[in-house]
Amino acid sequence: MGQGRILIIDDDPDITEAMSVVLENKGYVIDSAADSSEGMERLQANRPDLIILDVMMRTSQEGFELSRKLKSTAEYKDIPILMLTAVKDKTGLDFKSTAGDDAWLPVEEFLDKPVKPDVLLDKVASLIPKS
Amino acid sequence: MENLLKSTNLVQRAYWLVRLRWVAILMLAIATFAADRFMYIELAKTALFLIAGLLLVYNFILYDLLRYWTWGNKEPSERRIGWVLTFQISADLLILTMILHYAGGIENPFSFFFVFHMILVSILRSKWESYIQATSAVILFGGVVTLEALGVLPHHGLVGFAASDLYCKPIFVFGFLFVFSVTLYLVVYMTTSITEQLRVQQDGYARANALLEEKDQLKNQYVLRLTHDIKGHLAAIQSCLEIVINGMVGPLADKQMDLVDRAHRRTVKCMAFITALLKLTRMKLTGQLEMERFSLKNCVFNALAAVQNGARNKSIEVTHAIETSVDEIPGEAVLIEETLTNLLFNAIKYTPAGGKVSMTVVEEPAYVRVTIVDTGIGIPDEALPHVFEEFYRASNARATERDGTGLGLAFAKEVVERHGGQIQVCNNPEAGTTFSFTLPKNLVTASA
Repeated sequence: MGQGRILIIDDDPDITEAMSVVLENKGYVIDSAADSSEGMERLQANRPDLIILDVMMRTSQEGFELSRKLKSTAEYKDIPILMLTAVKDKTGLDFKSTAGDDAWLPVEEFLDKPVKPDVLLDKVASLIPKS
Repeated sequence: MENLLKSTNLVQRAYWLVRLRWVAILMLAIATFAADRFMYIELAKTALFLIAGLLLVYNFILYDLLRYWTWGNKEPSERRIGWVLTFQISADLLILTMILHYAGGIENPFSFFFVFHMILVSILRSKWESYIQATSAVILFGGVVTLEALGVLPHHGLVGFAASDLYCKPIFVFGFLFVFSVTLYLVVYMTTSITEQLRVQQDGYARANALLEEKDQLKNQYVLRLTHDIKGHLAAIQSCLEIVINGMVGPLADKQMDLVDRAHRRTVKCMAFITALLKLTRMKLTGQLEMERFSLKNCVFNALAAVQNGARNKSIEVTHAIETSVDEIPGEAVLIEETLTNLLFNAIKYTPAGGKVSMTVVEEPAYVRVTIVDTGIGIPDEALPHVFEEFYRASNARATERDGTGLGLAFAKEVVERHGGQIQVCNNPEAGTTFSFTLPKNLVTASA
């Protein structure tokens, strides 16, 4: 059984709800926020073991910006980030080859929306450090 | 864009004038030689050969200058190339006058050749410059024959060709010059009015074309926006349905499960369509491709692997033959692989169980050619010209497979053409279809 605290930052409440159901089912504790600033608040209130971050929120770059900000802060740079995108087609970026490139896209993993439940669980399990 | 085209055009014309001049020099030398040797006309041979030599030197200099300015596909400014053309025409008028002076002046019928210069200047340069050049031709040639008539300049008569006293008969000189001037001005008038009309038309077409392209880009941006928004909603629907189907929120009765499953399958198909449309639209909106050398062989193997299961399920035999010399070519590997997969998927989809699909990659002098042959249902003749159009689906394809997007081949065509290749389709004499496309082996500067 998975365990750990996960913060989902996504402005689509239905996606957030769907992921929460899947993850809670496996015993994870879910916290959620609808944008970057709310995300920062939740982060300070309750440090998560993993952040699931949507790229496009109010602006098409919001997720990127937040991830760079987090990775450049000593306090948060160790929290793994799983980035969700529906923008792969739009930006045409080959996320696979750029994920892990710290300067550009400082996240541990990315997934293209819509995410299949088992794929999501696999990624989450691989990112949350075993305690 | 428009200016660039124009200036490239003028450069080509400048080169063309240089080429014409080589011929003119040769003709001058031959004519001088023939008139002297075979027609027994007395000529100032030395002067004429000297002029031919001068012309030769001047043409070499011009040629080098043009080459220097256009070195490495450089585009000289329109102004500069305009000056070169003006200079060439002015110099040619002067040289033609010199030739005529040393070869009979008014007696020499080659004075008709001024008409050529008038036509050229009227097409290549502005209206007012054309009239100025006509005036300078009249002054140059008129001045020379008048001065010869007055005895100020020596007259090199064409003894053996024309009456020797014609050049100093005032009525003849006056009459000749009158007709000469009228002819030049009329030629300029007629040619410039036609060219001007053509220019206006051409500008109109260019503007209309630019407008269409702009509208098309707007349409693409709109489609991108729209499909992207729809994709967001679809993703949410699909995520929710998947949770229900996976039983994460409790079991469903059979009938409930069946309906949710149907709904889910439709969202999957809709998602495939949206994704294909996004891909195609994105391609159309992006500028240059990221061209890197990649292994075509690997792409082919990946594509073959991607369709392996589908082929096995329909017991379709997929064979391939790749010429050993084929390897790295410039392009975007991801796009090429997707194109190959698309074409293979199609071949398998529209080939009845037990059929065959074969893929060959061969090397041509400048291209690599990929050919995919199937033994499938073929494409109706009337549909062949349309299969690469967006959303188009042939009637028999629709009957075989209800849920195609009609975008796969449009995507393939866009990818291949962006790489500087071409894609074709034809029906096989026996059964099935052949798709074939080329990719350049070396980077070509795409004329977008």
